[in-house]
Amino acid sequence: MANGRSVRVQLLRRLLPPITALLAIGAVIAYYPSIGPAESAYDQALIDVGLALGERIRYAEGRYSVDLPSAAERILRTDRYDQIYFRVRAPDGTSLAGDSDLPAPPPDDTPNDGVIAYNDVYGERDVRAVAVLVPCAGKVCTVQVAETTVKRKRLVRDIVLSSLVPTLLIAIATLVIVWFGVKRGLAPLARLSEQIKERSPRDLRPIEIGPVPEEAKPMVGALNDLLGQVEEANSNQQRFLANAAHQLRTPLAGLQAHTELALGQAVPDACRIELEQVHLATVRTARLANQLLALARAESAGDREAALEPLDMRRVVEGVADEWVHRGLARDIDLGFDLAEARVRGNEFLLREALANLVHNALEYTPAGGHVTVRTATRRAGDGARAVLEVEDDGPGIPPEQRAQVVQRFYRAPGTAGTGSGLGLAIVSEIAGLHGASVEIGEATAGGHGCRVSLIFPAAPA
Amino acid sequence: MRILIVEDDPGLAAGVSKILEGEGYAVDVVRSGEQALLAVEQEAFDLVILDVGLPGMDGFEALRRLRATAQRVPVLLLTARDAVDDRVRGLDLGGDDYVAKPFAMSELAARVRALIRRSQAQAGPKIVHGPLELDTVARRAYLAGAPLELAAREWGVLEVLLTRADRIVSKEAIIQAVANWGEELSPNAIEVYVSRLRAKLEPAGVQIRTVRGFGYMLEDYREP
Repeated sequence: MANGRSVRVQLLRRLLPPITALLAIGAVIAYYPSIGPAESAYDQALIDVGLALGERIRYAEGRYSVDLPSAAERILRTDRYDQIYFRVRAPDGTSLAGDSDLPAPPPDDTPNDGVIAYNDVYGERDVRAVAVLVPCAGKVCTVQVAETTVKRKRLVRDIVLSSLVPTLLIAIATLVIVWFGVKRGLAPLARLSEQIKERSPRDLRPIEIGPVPEEAKPMVGALNDLLGQVEEANSNQQRFLANAAHQLRTPLAGLQAHTELALGQAVPDACRIELEQVHLATVRTARLANQLLALARAESAGDREAALEPLDMRRVVEGVADEWVHRGLARDIDLGFDLAEARVRGNEFLLREALANLVHNALEYTPAGGHVTVRTATRRAGDGARAVLEVEDDGPGIPPEQRAQVVQRFYRAPGTAGTGSGLGLAIVSEIAGLHGASVEIGEATAGGHGCRVSLIFPAAPA
Repeated sequence: MRILIVEDDPGLAAGVSKILEGEGYAVDVVRSGEQALLAVEQEAFDLVILDVGLPGMDGFEALRRLRATAQRVPVLLLTARDAVDDRVRGLDLGGDDYVAKPFAMSELAARVRALIRRSQAQAGPKIVHGPLELDTVARRAYLAGAPLELAAREWGVLEVLLTRADRIVSKEAIIQAVANWGEELSPNAIEVYVSRLRAKLEPAGVQIRTVRGFGYMLEDYREP
């Protein structure tokens, strides 16, 4: 909003000049029709005074005089707002009464119905004046009456104000309505962006068009098209992965079968060593293929959050325990369990994959005669419960300075034995991330021996 | 014992069949679901090893049609797919067990032995495991041909372990199988029965493994 690109600000910027112009024009239009009659009413009052004064002109013995008692003159000069001036002149132009220095009317003005009305300056003040021509003894005397313009200016002010105030109120109302109306009109857009912001990046369901204003529908439509394309690409990738899995694993299974067959026969020792290498490489390749596929699956949206469902990790472990016990026996490692309820929202396939990698690592790096324990538990944490899946062993452990690196892809700790690809913990970390779980790597015992990898999940309600 | 392998990859089919032949089974190989259904119709097999990812009619469909004909032959599914759903679907359709590709031959052979043993136990009264023989109808046990005295609870525990030989069995599962209605049986009691069984069976080479924190496993018996 602050960068001025806001629809509201732009709209107001465009509305303000025409509204101001309209106000000005409105004031002018209201002023002229009402100022004319008001001015002539005030002028008429001056004319009346002039006529009244004209009545008081006397003519005797060739001399003109004005019979104006001082009380009458005071009344005449009294006005609530303005200063009143007058001057009575004989036909020859000499002043008979009043303010003898009041200037004469402009000579080029022609009298209209015996009256000249004009503007003038007197005593450095603006005045409005009338000159009334009155008959006196067969000749024409002139009575000038002038007043300052205080009440006339007040009148102008009142007229302008009375016409401006309503239009000003309408203008303010317009601006307020625009300001809040635009905000209100754009509220569905704000809700829409909230909705998009709150989405998980893996949630590719179309956005509901429902409450969006008509003008924003093409945008939502385009967004949904894009989401649809991403979804489509994802499901294509899923299909590709399923096919790749099949196409890779079947020949590997065949290769493994034949090397095992060959090893089961009487072969010369030199040949046996080569065969064992081939067999080992086959098993490693198979495992690597499995891991790469698992990693790709964990990354793709096919296993997005929507696919998480409530499950108990204890049951997940129990379901696959059998697969690992045999391997433990073959390596003479005591693989044990410590299982308690651990409810999470999870994807069973991925959790099994994470577990398989943890157990595989533990069995791989623990010497014969060692112990590996798979544990599930629900633990109280500060702000609630946490479900825990952990695997610990009494092998060499992972030094603290390498713990951050071991979750990187293809990282293998220097000098490690075994046949790992360096993908195991990266997969575990990826899968943990998908579940909102954290991965903690530590020692199995207080003495710093062994390794314990814990996945700490936000617990799901039972 | 006759086994039918349904696998379209010739290399894998040949390898598996050679290994199983080496274990003393008679093995036939077909390449498709249609051929498998024909073969099962014409001959009696003790086990079918069925690849799920067959071209044309896939393994699931072949399994569904096989079960629709009321054929009870045990089916071991081979699959390269890794979705949990596939495994559940295969077992729901009537598959008896499931091995994911690629697999170690020893694992496949152990599964084959276990499945055949299980189907024999269902078919007849006798379960054989190396020198150990259980007659489930007469409730008599023999070890290396000699009668073996077993208390009722020991018998119950041994029967559970034997029907799931080479698989781990949780203590809970053992308790459920041997406890009478309304009776509480503690995990400690199971430990006692297992240790008595061990004392009797180990001299003949039959091993019961403890799986720490989980349960027990009757180890696959191999001739010494």
